[in-house]
Amino acid sequence: MSDFSEELIGSKTEDEQEESYVFSGTGMSFPWLQNHIGTIATGGKKEKDFAQTTSACLSFIQEALLKHQWQQAAEYMHSYLQILEDSDSHKRQAAPEIIWKLGSEILFYHPKSNMETFNTFADRMKNIGVMNYLKISLQHALYLVHHGMLEDANRNLSHAETWRYGEKSSSQEVLINLIQAYKGLLQYYTWSKKKLELSTLDEDDYAYNAASQSMLNHSCKTSVNLGALIQTPGVWDPFVKSYVEMLEFYGDRDGAREVLTNYAYDEKFPSNPNAHVYLYNFLKREKAPREKLISVLKILYQIVPSHKLMLEFHRLLGKSEKEDHRKLGLEVLFGVLDFAGCTKNITAWKYLAKYLRQILMGNHLAWVQEEWNSRKNWWPDFHFSSFWAKSDWKEDKALACEKALVAGILLGKGCRYFRFISKQDDEVLRKKIKRIKKSVENHSIVNPGL
Amino acid sequence: MDFPSSLRPTLFMAGPLGLSNVPDLSFMCSWRDALMLPESPPDNSENGAPHMATQLLWEPETPGPLPLLPPGPDPWDPGVTAQDLLFRGGFTFRRKPRAVLDVTEQLSRFLWDHGDIAFAPLGKLMLENFKLEGARSRSKKKTVVSVKSLLQDLGGHQPWGCPWAFLSYRQRRFSILGGPVLGKSVASLLGELLHEELAVRWEQLLLDDAFTGGALAWVPGRTPQVGQLVYPAGGALDKLCFQEVSLTSSGDAQALRDPGHIQLRGPVRQVVTRTVQGESESFGHLPPCLPPLLTCSLTLIFSVPQPCWLSALTTTAPCGSPHLPGELAVCSRSGAVCLWTPQDGLQQVYKDPETLVFCDHSSWRWADFTAHPRVLTVGDRTGVKIIDTQGPPGCGLLLFRGGAEASCQKGERVLLTQYLGTCSPEPLLPTLHLICTQFSLYLVDERLPLVPMLKWNHELPSAPLWAQLLPPPRPGCPRPLLLGAQRGHLRLLHLTGEGASAPRLAGHPQSLPSSSDSLSAFPLLEPKSQWRLQERLKAPTIGLAAIIPFPASEPVLSLFQLSAAGDIFHQRLRLQTDPGATLHAPTASWTPQATACCSRWLKALLKVPPPPPVWAAPTFSHRRLLGCMEQRTGERKGPEGLRAAMAGGRLLQQRDLGPLPSAEPPPAPEPGPEDELSARLEAAWEGQMAAWWERQQGRSSGPSRLPKRHKRRTQLSSTFSSLSGRLGLSDATSPPHSPDRASPEAKLQPPVTPPSHESTQELWAQGVPSERQQTLRDYMAKLPLGGDSPRGVCSSLSQSPSLQATPSSSQTLQERTAELPPRRTTLRGAAVSSSQTSSLRATPSRQRAPVPSGSQPQRKKPRMGF
Repeated sequence: MSDFSEELIGSKTEDEQEESYVFSGTGMSFPWLQNHIGTIATGGKKEKDFAQTTSACLSFIQEALLKHQWQQAAEYMHSYLQILEDSDSHKRQAAPEIIWKLGSEILFYHPKSNMETFNTFADRMKNIGVMNYLKISLQHALYLVHHGMLEDANRNLSHAETWRYGEKSSSQEVLINLIQAYKGLLQYYTWSKKKLELSTLDEDDYAYNAASQSMLNHSCKTSVNLGALIQTPGVWDPFVKSYVEMLEFYGDRDGAREVLTNYAYDEKFPSNPNAHVYLYNFLKREKAPREKLISVLKILYQIVPSHKLMLEFHRLLGKSEKEDHRKLGLEVLFGVLDFAGCTKNITAWKYLAKYLRQILMGNHLAWVQEEWNSRKNWWPDFHFSSFWAKSDWKEDKALACEKALVAGILLGKGCRYFRFISKQDDEVLRKKIKRIKKSVENHSIVNPGL
Repeated sequence: MDFPSSLRPTLFMAGPLGLSNVPDLSFMCSWRDALMLPESPPDNSENGAPHMATQLLWEPETPGPLPLLPPGPDPWDPGVTAQDLLFRGGFTFRRKPRAVLDVTEQLSRFLWDHGDIAFAPLGKLMLENFKLEGARSRSKKKTVVSVKSLLQDLGGHQPWGCPWAFLSYRQRRFSILGGPVLGKSVASLLGELLHEELAVRWEQLLLDDAFTGGALAWVPGRTPQVGQLVYPAGGALDKLCFQEVSLTSSGDAQALRDPGHIQLRGPVRQVVTRTVQGESESFGHLPPCLPPLLTCSLTLIFSVPQPCWLSALTTTAPCGSPHLPGELAVCSRSGAVCLWTPQDGLQQVYKDPETLVFCDHSSWRWADFTAHPRVLTVGDRTGVKIIDTQGPPGCGLLLFRGGAEASCQKGERVLLTQYLGTCSPEPLLPTLHLICTQFSLYLVDERLPLVPMLKWNHELPSAPLWAQLLPPPRPGCPRPLLLGAQRGHLRLLHLTGEGASAPRLAGHPQSLPSSSDSLSAFPLLEPKSQWRLQERLKAPTIGLAAIIPFPASEPVLSLFQLSAAGDIFHQRLRLQTDPGATLHAPTASWTPQATACCSRWLKALLKVPPPPPVWAAPTFSHRRLLGCMEQRTGERKGPEGLRAAMAGGRLLQQRDLGPLPSAEPPPAPEPGPEDELSARLEAAWEGQMAAWWERQQGRSSGPSRLPKRHKRRTQLSSTFSSLSGRLGLSDATSPPHSPDRASPEAKLQPPVTPPSHESTQELWAQGVPSERQQTLRDYMAKLPLGGDSPRGVCSSLSQSPSLQATPSSSQTLQERTAELPPRRTTLRGAAVSSSQTSSLRATPSRQRAPVPSGSQPQRKKPRMGF
């Protein structure tokens, strides 16, 4: 029990322990300060040699790991375990975590290590001290999942789930929630496998009933497991996704909607684009009215204007009868093309070319000008430089044509990009280029009179 | 641009730094990062052990980088070190060591070396109370003191530092009366300023952010093998050089011709290159340190290969736009961010003199671009913010917050922030930003602010100030991310996951050799030159450039490092292709060409004149002041007497040298409390050795409740022993492969004091096979009690007479060796040598080295379960 009581005391002084780096007057801590001080320590009481050898050993392990010398790291690790017997209780308590971290790393990469070794190591490390049980269990389970040992992982998580130590602290609660959620995810895997099996079975079959019954059991457990964690602020994409899928399967649409709405709109959660994407996809499956879909995507547009759903958003807006929606449709397209990663998105260019013509034919020149004003000093260099003209033409002629049309509309016939493309003599695209020239003649915003 | 369809589960908690009651769910190390949750239920058969396939290792061709160019003609001085700034004496070890600035010594040094400056103003004030010349006048005024008599009393001796120096009554009175005045004013005025200065220097030593971003840049040429290195050179780093370099596929990097250069009027701190739309641009940056000509800094924009001044800006820290040619983002220490465009010139887009998240005194700011050409990031020590230059002023969105959101530690600060979507014409990870603190590396996606996509604890022993994302060495390979720290430490990470998957580390990060690893390539020199060479190799890094010149065929990574001494080191690394061969990572060795290159460089280095000494002997100004006084005769007496004695061919006698200042003889060194040797010898002479031994045993054997832990450890160690081919402690602690590297333990050993007992014990225990340790222990337990032990002890002592040398002499010897350039010893070598010196004082039971071959050394019972 000595360990336990020590750790009880230790957990209170954990804060103190973290301050092992020294703060200068600025409040900033420097992990390398110890090295500087080490160079000047001359007299007085020194660090004990045991501490010196263990810390030297630690640095050897780290060095070997960074050089990918797994064999050597394992050998040093063998010696480093003596730190568990350090007379300094702070160090002794911090040791299991370090050993777990480095040891698992070595065992993960060591060419001779296998799953049994890893399991043995993890099982032993869990029971050294009490503070790391949950963390190590969770990581061990993840390791097993990664290696396809779903049942073992599930067993591991079940063990960890029931584990309690001392007063239930908030950190313990979060960890247990997380463990339960992972367990739920594993159950979801089993469930979806069963679902797959079920789809192959005949409904009248006796086996069908049994399978659907066991599926139902699984889903009940899973929803209990997943439900708790996704109330906690965080990014829980895989959990939310699987939870919603199960809820939907059993027809609990309201429950699913509530989960997704909460995940997307709760202010305590980070602004996760996926939360809005999941909600949108759900509403789309539900065949929600267009207004509703637009309102969801409007928020996504504010968070990530470069998201690939924005093109869908544009289509939705284009179908809308409202003026401001159609104006927003133009804004969205310009917004997508503002981003460096989207410059070669041919669909976006195609949409823009088409929509520009449509808008200009609808006598909304002001909309275009409004969008263009904030971009006219950098879009020409960003999209329509002669460098891009050459390289686009070389790489993707269709893209070059769409861009040339937009360039011509926005900048007029004289712009470099348009001139370069229109001068190209390509047999296949000759007709298309001619059409582009004509469109530019008709719609260019530079000389609206022509 | 695809957003990852499913992000890794992360807890999100708002709060300050170091919030401790929340579990850090980013406890992931590299392997756990590889554990992606499968999108669909994983298949048992497929997911065997896929991790080995992604193992990537860059294997260095030589154990360390080689100098690329001959050393510059300007001498280089390493500057202040911790030894110069911190309090050295009486330092006690504690768990939380504290750095104490040594103001006292600095102040006394200053008063001693520059007494003129320190006391002249006071002297001028007190001028009317002193009588400088003439005979002893019987002045009626009691307030006038004759300086002459005071100096006569001093007799030319400065009693500084000598407690036994003779003091006349006059001096005593003067110092008692003048002391408060002199002491107070000097201490309060000077001390404060000095402390401030020392604190600034110390902070600078811990973190010098002047070169954040790096002052070395590679400008690609027409072919991938030829390019230009742009870097500052010269002693003051005020010469901007353009060195053409060619990289051969088999050989080394070659400097093609003499570098073109531009002479500037101040040091260049940052050199940035960007290749935008097929054209390369470079920016050099000069900070504001050129009084009185310029009070502001300059950013020079020039295009290579024809350097020309495009504009001069008055700001700091430039960053070139990866999207638009000629555009720059610059920010000043006052918190203003400006966008410079060729058409519109400089426009201020943001200004906030306060730090972003919480109050921090540092004025470091950094601006960079994002995936949107009109959206910038601005970073300070507390966080990073995204600002839209076209939006309303002042608004923005925090991209990174030093706080619980990213599970930041207490005292954690941002040191580097960099937009990663810049490294090639085709943006690689167009929305990722790299943020480095002194503890961790974060990758943040600008579409999901505040929640890091990846966090890795880099554990670098100095500040990470450079980072470079490289294109994949082969199509489909992960992207190398190079991270460089101030003291030359390098880490190479591999990032994978584009498109619809979140970025993660592929494989374990790798460390690359730094320039101090090259020491073994140089011939051994005499100590002073060796020291100089070592200092030169250890000079902090100020710039980093890496290229993969021949992607596809055989990936080679060429790495250039610029040191503060102005040297450029080059190293090549090859991508190891066979992942199965990583059991014993290969160790590179020096080729004859490499050592020849190093020798040539060294020859040139030794021709460079050493830097002028910082310290000059003190001047005794009173001699100048008082002109010729009879004191001089007294002073001259020594040499004159000597000369006369030599001329006369007779013995030099005391009377020739004049009277000695009457002084007490210095007290004999007091025996310290730990003088075990004499205590033991005394006991031995009196025949009470056994009793002494008993006492000693009782004192040093601590309470042991450790054996019960033994089992746990052996259980655990079996995990690793099954992996390590060789069993046994002695093998496990074998020294690292590279013999040139000073081992951390050697560094840990403070040079002067001998290690205490456990060290020798450890060494002893390691040398003995474990199965024989018990036998030995039993033997030793009996040894001192065996009646005639004193004789045995005496004999073992007398066999090593040199061990009885006085501790003081051995210590000075060791001090001297410690002054020398650090030895090229292995761990074992260093430990043995220190244990040998330590055994000079150790009790015979702890002596290790000079034991006669037949007898076993006596030892106290080991405690640590051996």
